[in-house]
Amino acid sequence: MDAGAVTGQLLVGLSRAMILFVVSAGLTFVLGVLRVPNIFHGSLYMIGAFVAWTVAEAFAGHPAGLWAGLAVAPVATAAVGLLVERLLLARLYHREHLMLILFTFGVMLVLNDLVKMVWGPTYRSLVPPPSLQGAVSVLGVALPRFNLVLLAAGPVVAVALWLFAHRTRVGKLARAAATDRDMVDVLGVDVSRVFALAFAVGCFLAGLGGALVAPTTSITLGMDHTLLVESFLIVIVGGLGNLWGALAGSLLFGLTQSLGLLVWPQFAIAFPYAVTAAVLLVRPTGLMRSAW
Amino acid sequence: MERKAWILLAVACVAAATVAAGAAPAVRFDRNIKVGIVDTYSGPPAVFGNDALNGFRLALQEINRDGVHGARIEFVTRDERFSPEIGLSMARELVLQERVDVLVGTINSATALAISAFAREQRVPFIVWISKSEAITGARGHRYVFSTTENTAMAGKALAEALARRGYTRFWLAAEDYEYGHAVTNSFWRFMKRVKPEAELVNQTWWRTGEPDLVPYLTQIMQARPQPQAVFFGTGGAGMANVLRTMQVIGFAQRLPSAIHTAIDVTVLRPLGTAAPEGVFGTTDYLFYYPDTPANRKFVQDFQAAYRDPPGFPAFHGYITAHFIAEAFRRARSLDRERFVDALEGLRVQTPVGEVEMRACDHQAMLPLFFGATRRDPRFPFLVAGDLVTIPGRDVMPTCDDIRRARERAR
Repeated sequence: MDAGAVTGQLLVGLSRAMILFVVSAGLTFVLGVLRVPNIFHGSLYMIGAFVAWTVAEAFAGHPAGLWAGLAVAPVATAAVGLLVERLLLARLYHREHLMLILFTFGVMLVLNDLVKMVWGPTYRSLVPPPSLQGAVSVLGVALPRFNLVLLAAGPVVAVALWLFAHRTRVGKLARAAATDRDMVDVLGVDVSRVFALAFAVGCFLAGLGGALVAPTTSITLGMDHTLLVESFLIVIVGGLGNLWGALAGSLLFGLTQSLGLLVWPQFAIAFPYAVTAAVLLVRPTGLMRSAW
Repeated sequence: MERKAWILLAVACVAAATVAAGAAPAVRFDRNIKVGIVDTYSGPPAVFGNDALNGFRLALQEINRDGVHGARIEFVTRDERFSPEIGLSMARELVLQERVDVLVGTINSATALAISAFAREQRVPFIVWISKSEAITGARGHRYVFSTTENTAMAGKALAEALARRGYTRFWLAAEDYEYGHAVTNSFWRFMKRVKPEAELVNQTWWRTGEPDLVPYLTQIMQARPQPQAVFFGTGGAGMANVLRTMQVIGFAQRLPSAIHTAIDVTVLRPLGTAAPEGVFGTTDYLFYYPDTPANRKFVQDFQAAYRDPPGFPAFHGYITAHFIAEAFRRARSLDRERFVDALEGLRVQTPVGEVEMRACDHQAMLPLFFGATRRDPRFPFLVAGDLVTIPGRDVMPTCDDIRRARERAR
């Protein structure tokens, strides 16, 4: 096991972790502020990937297509999320958790069928612009060029989210509402609008995650399943509603998978799950403080 | 003179009567033939299910123009949603309520095996048209199950022989953790050890179905010491598309010769466009551009006229399945299920790739396999297969004795 192989696995694991972080950050944000376990978060991720593909196709191979897709897809999923929140979800916040889970599960079924109607069952490929095709060599290990974009996107999203939550009025209100919803309400703040915005931000991140993976994988129906399960696992391991927890969980998940391959490729599938199970045994409420 | 004429006339009459009695009287079916199709029409595998159904429909247009003994072939479809439980209950409904004459399906090997057991118990003919587990017509085969698709035993043997001939002895197995991934990988390795007993397994890698990011898996193989000489991949559908895309990005196939069953298939390569690597070895049992024969050209032309896209391998299977069904009912001259099974055994049908026989001993269609390597071609906006070699079905199929032994062992 040489240094090159370890570095290579570290970098590809990190890029996977960044995707997981972008998506699970959205999930945990909504969970923290609204207390809604959003089951259709995965569907929005899938829609983000399909929208990015459609936009890139519209540019007919022009390199700007990828960047336009990255810009349009999150906005589109945020709009879908906002629509669902204003029309339906806003009326259900006072219901018990089971109802909210059932509701978001229902929306997931509807969205997934809509995706099938709009984009059909065939899988799609988004070919990145030539400057991002192929791989660069890091200590003799091939690292896909596009993974450099992923490695940059993760920290940018983390910092942007932190600034939003701590430096903007809405962000501060959202955090306050997460801690004590009634108190914020009593202070004369329109909590409903804060919630709508927070939900849209969560959905924006799901779409961004989808658009970011689009050039690296098959864009297909069902791509939401795996990611949804992994995201929930990460959110639980990180501590419900905790953004840094989501980052820690994503790193834990992505890195144990890629480094596990160096140790025992045949059973690498099991590593991330074994590690998360171990973490939950030691810290049942997650790595970081839960917002709940 | 007059008497001689009478005798001649009498002889002629007797001869005519004998000939008439010898030729079968015209049979007319008193109802249409009903085929029940269970397949996946939702989720990622729907691409294959729909393609097969299109091929089946196209064949029915041809068949129903003249009919089968005055009857038309009709069909109903059920969506199993890639679940053996759902598939089995759909098959049950089709047989017990819809009263179909023949069951057809499915892309999911686990579903195919579940329905096969039910078909045996109900004595209903069941034709498997996409799923490739060799157990279907092998260890778990029986009188009522047929296969019109190549299977993992054929693919594994074809690829093992092709790679052994290229002189590789040290292999890495990399596969997706599901029924087909295991079946095709096990078959490849079993035949490799038979063809080349000194073949060495360096290591193996398995990933979950639906794993979106295969970069860590493939870079690890490229970095591993000692290096294998060739890598066999056990994957299909959207999962294989991810393997090929990743290979292209990190330059895997240039470093390590790689083989995947159906890697050269158009249903896999077309959606990838130019994001697929050149030089990956693969096998398939249908290509719309090879063999370049009048029969294949006509099928492709008709299919494109009806559905725009060129046919993939599932469409080919759907098409020949319909023709096998029609021909067997013609030969059976009856709607009786037992006589249909008898007629289908050993039946030869003209197909776009030439005459194909339904082997009587195991009910496996003796389809040829095409072996080649992916390459760019200016005529197409996606990669195609080059250096194609046709491998006759009988060369890679288990012998009837193998089948008998496998079934005895299973019992």
